[in-house]
Amino acid sequence: MTPDVAQIRDALRVVIDPELGVNIVDLGFIYDIAVAEGDVRITMTATNKGCPASGFLKEGVARSASQVDGVRSVDVVMTFEPTWDPSMISADARASLGFASVH
Amino acid sequence: MIGGSVSKWTMSYFAMGIAWLFAAEALMIAGFGYPGADVAAPETLVLVHVVAIGWLSMCICGALLQFVPVLVGKALVSEAGALPVLGLLTAGLIALLLGFLALGGRLPPWLWLLPVGTTLLVAGFGLFAANIVMTMWRARPLAAAARFVLVGLAALGATAALGTSFAWALAGYGGSGLNAVLDAGIPLHAIAGLGGWLTLTAMGVSYRLLAMFMMSPDVDIRRSRTTLLVGAATLGLAVAGGLAAIAMRAGLDLVFVLTAVCGVATAALYGRDVVDLYRKRKRRTLELNTSMAVYALTSLAASVVLGLALAVRGSFAADIGAFVFLLGFGWLSGLVLAKLYKIVAFLTWLETYGPVMGRVPTPRVQDLVVEPRATKWFAAYFASVWLATALLFAGQAPAFRVAAFGMMVATAGIVQELLRTRMLADVTTNARLPQGAKLPRLLHS
Repeated sequence: MTPDVAQIRDALRVVIDPELGVNIVDLGFIYDIAVAEGDVRITMTATNKGCPASGFLKEGVARSASQVDGVRSVDVVMTFEPTWDPSMISADARASLGFASVH
Repeated sequence: MIGGSVSKWTMSYFAMGIAWLFAAEALMIAGFGYPGADVAAPETLVLVHVVAIGWLSMCICGALLQFVPVLVGKALVSEAGALPVLGLLTAGLIALLLGFLALGGRLPPWLWLLPVGTTLLVAGFGLFAANIVMTMWRARPLAAAARFVLVGLAALGATAALGTSFAWALAGYGGSGLNAVLDAGIPLHAIAGLGGWLTLTAMGVSYRLLAMFMMSPDVDIRRSRTTLLVGAATLGLAVAGGLAAIAMRAGLDLVFVLTAVCGVATAALYGRDVVDLYRKRKRRTLELNTSMAVYALTSLAASVVLGLALAVRGSFAADIGAFVFLLGFGWLSGLVLAKLYKIVAFLTWLETYGPVMGRVPTPRVQDLVVEPRATKWFAAYFASVWLATALLFAGQAPAFRVAAFGMMVATAGIVQELLRTRMLADVTTNARLPQGAKLPRLLHS
């Protein structure tokens, strides 16, 4: 069985940004998910390049995606282009975080 | 570099710093040093260096070991140097304090302890600074916050150089040149240490930490650069101008006036930048660390106003102890305690839950702390500091000791919260230690 993008995306919701306490999918950290057969390539970002949390987020994404049935390999690419900003957070997550309106 | 490592010894620096803070508070309760003794008495020198080196410098060094890689996006040149630096700073401080006690006649006249102490301290701070500077060198061009740290380190160098010259002069190994610096240069040493190393570094780090924790846009680079330039000019004016005045046997009054003008301008520019950070934050609800930082920043503003008022009244020299106390305990210690509350929780989370993330659900950093409980201790701390400052101004030395006791009780409450965070004591049982997670060690990572 070949996993689809939606399954992978759902699996990634177990990974949270520890500071914001919201999963990284709703925070907009996942830029792209590509699935070919059982090989998954995820392009993601984080709020800060040098923060130790960024490394753990990357590893967490690889771990959670690899637990999806049918996944053969996972390649996680961390990018800081474009730079993440709060406007990428989903509306529901923004409301739950009590964010000011994002201009 | 993506994702730096958790600094192994940062928690040890924090623990050592807190131990020295308790020591300082115990000395104040016991009436040791100012205001029970003269502001320049050896006993006061003990107290001041316990706070400046033991508590504040130790915590700032520990925080920078973790935070500089975050600031510049490069790993530290040497992780291994952290523990020897901690040992050198501790040994150097103990030797220096013993030297001061010898100077005050509380020990036999072993004044050689003073240069021994400063040599160890210079070795410790020198290794530390070399590590940070080489790391930053590899990460050019530098972000604004990192430049503040660099200028702070330059100020640390100036502070250490002056302190070393005093130590050699006091031990009887100085010539006429060093003796002249000793006679007039102590204010320069204090300005470089308190205003340069500790304050400029705290300002730089606060730019980034406040922006991160409140999700504010970074301060405009031109604005922060102006603040730094004026801050660096203040420092240069005080140290270089002061030493030139001493060499020319001129009075230091003009240097102090110009330093005060530039210092007030630096504080005002920094205040403008920080207000902007709070105003433009995306997270409307402030966490404890950012709300308590407001009290520290208020203490900085109050120090500036008080300093100006005292200067206008002509009693700055007489009341300098109260002024320095508010800067040291209201601004610097208040900010360090507020940020420790967040940093300890964040590092503890990373150590415990980082390795299992993606495999099992994990709690948030905020699930490791109970802010309403900690708020009471922070409120008690700031109230005690402000009361103690007022009592110093009023010349009420016995009542000051009671306020110092209040500070110690509040500090103990805050430290208890830090220990509970470290032991995951407030995380719900189900979420506390998921499969594969390990309880972190208390004093190192």
